[in-house]
Amino acid sequence: MKLVWFETVKTFSRWRTYIGFSVIALIVIITEVVMRLSADEILYRMLRSLEKDFLISGNVLNGWFVTAFIMNSLHIHMPFLITLVAGDVVSSEATSGTVRLLLIRPPSRSRIITAKYITTFFYTAGLVLFLGLLCILLGLTLFGSGDLIIHHYGRFGIIYIEEAEIPIRMLFAFIAAIWSMMAVASIAFLLSTLAENSVGPIIGTMAVVVVFLVIGNFPLDFFRSLKPYLFTTYLTFWQRFLDDPIPWQQIGSSAAILGLHSILLFLIALGVYTRKDIKS
Amino acid sequence: MKKRVWFIWFLLLFSAGWAFAQDDTARYLDALERKYSALKDYTVDVKVHFDMEGFNAPDMQARLYFKPPDKMKVESKKVFFFPKEGGIFNPFVFKKEAFDIRLLEETTYDNRKAVKLKLYPKDTKKMKQSFVLILDIESHQIREFHTSSDEREVKGVIDYGKFKEFDLPTRIELHLDLPFKESFEMREFGQPAPAPQRVTGKAEISYSNYRVNSGLRDDIFESPKRKK
Repeated sequence: MKLVWFETVKTFSRWRTYIGFSVIALIVIITEVVMRLSADEILYRMLRSLEKDFLISGNVLNGWFVTAFIMNSLHIHMPFLITLVAGDVVSSEATSGTVRLLLIRPPSRSRIITAKYITTFFYTAGLVLFLGLLCILLGLTLFGSGDLIIHHYGRFGIIYIEEAEIPIRMLFAFIAAIWSMMAVASIAFLLSTLAENSVGPIIGTMAVVVVFLVIGNFPLDFFRSLKPYLFTTYLTFWQRFLDDPIPWQQIGSSAAILGLHSILLFLIALGVYTRKDIKS
Repeated sequence: MKKRVWFIWFLLLFSAGWAFAQDDTARYLDALERKYSALKDYTVDVKVHFDMEGFNAPDMQARLYFKPPDKMKVESKKVFFFPKEGGIFNPFVFKKEAFDIRLLEETTYDNRKAVKLKLYPKDTKKMKQSFVLILDIESHQIREFHTSSDEREVKGVIDYGKFKEFDLPTRIELHLDLPFKESFEMREFGQPAPAPQRVTGKAEISYSNYRVNSGLRDDIFESPKRKK
């Protein structure tokens, strides 16, 4: 526990840790202020195809909608911010030359790497929760509350979630987002145990994420057949908490696949770190 | 010469017959117009139940304001969807001057005398859709309507109740068959445009707590226009 505390303090006392938080704060504030200023235009564009046949009243562009909108837009960019710390958490010891000092101390290597992994989890969870809380609080302040209308792309699909139900669904969605981002963080964490500097793990993780996303979204049958085997396919399973009815089975299988990835990647990192040669 | 005279005689006879038929069918709409001529406005609470593929929503409630000829407003604290076509009872749409009217058949509806009329709009720029109405000619009520334009089709069945001296809907069942085209703004970056599709299903609207001729002011219907 003490080790986790030391690692957490160490991580959160680095300025690099706050890059992600600052970027998110900047993006969310800019996006929400601009959305507030162009609310009429957004509503017109959003509802244009529906308003031909339906009269729509009520606060459609509310804080919950804005939160879902920003979450949808950021799911590709979040991994990059996660890797900034997850890719640095182990390799920074090698860069700063403290790795030997750390490993000759009594705590075992497995305890140290586990503490670092837990710290990575704290950072990931903190970043996602920060995004969620900022989106919701600023969103509700600027846009007010209301029922959440979700539209599914590519087919006529309107999902209407009543206001009273939204907070609990959002909570589940953010927990799921943390779970997803932990899979990305685990890749960065593993690469961080392999590397001597932070740049490699950050770029390496982003390369994996980008390549998998591109492969998974190519409109060719060959790539489509690969899609179920790519972890990036399941990264957006948090969106399923905003479906009606909630597809628990799909959520369960996505969570299990991502969880297995995280565990496996951590176990490999553990194996690598415990066998790491620090003498050379 | 003889042929020409015959032709003119035939033409006169036909156009007179057609004009008479128009006038004859127009009396049904005339009666409907007279029946509601004293209706100055109404306010009603509506509850909508959608049974449409792809539309997952609980029953929605709102207050609806209407003032002839076509002022309408929906007020709801919650997000509310309401079918534009057929959801708002507006007998003032069916003015005899606005349509070419054809009697399709004389029939019965709920054991009452009825007629089935087809209405073609005269000004197709102003009104694009044609209507088929089943009119109860004993009580001058529109019992069923079917409207279709190039892409949309809406069928409605109306049940009435008496509110003050007016027959107003207590329930309208709408069968909708509408086009849906994804707007560019709804797409995520890089996603191709999907093929246009049909949206079909049913909307059941219940009407309660009518307030008729309460003197609704015009400014109630004014709402700030959205910038495009």
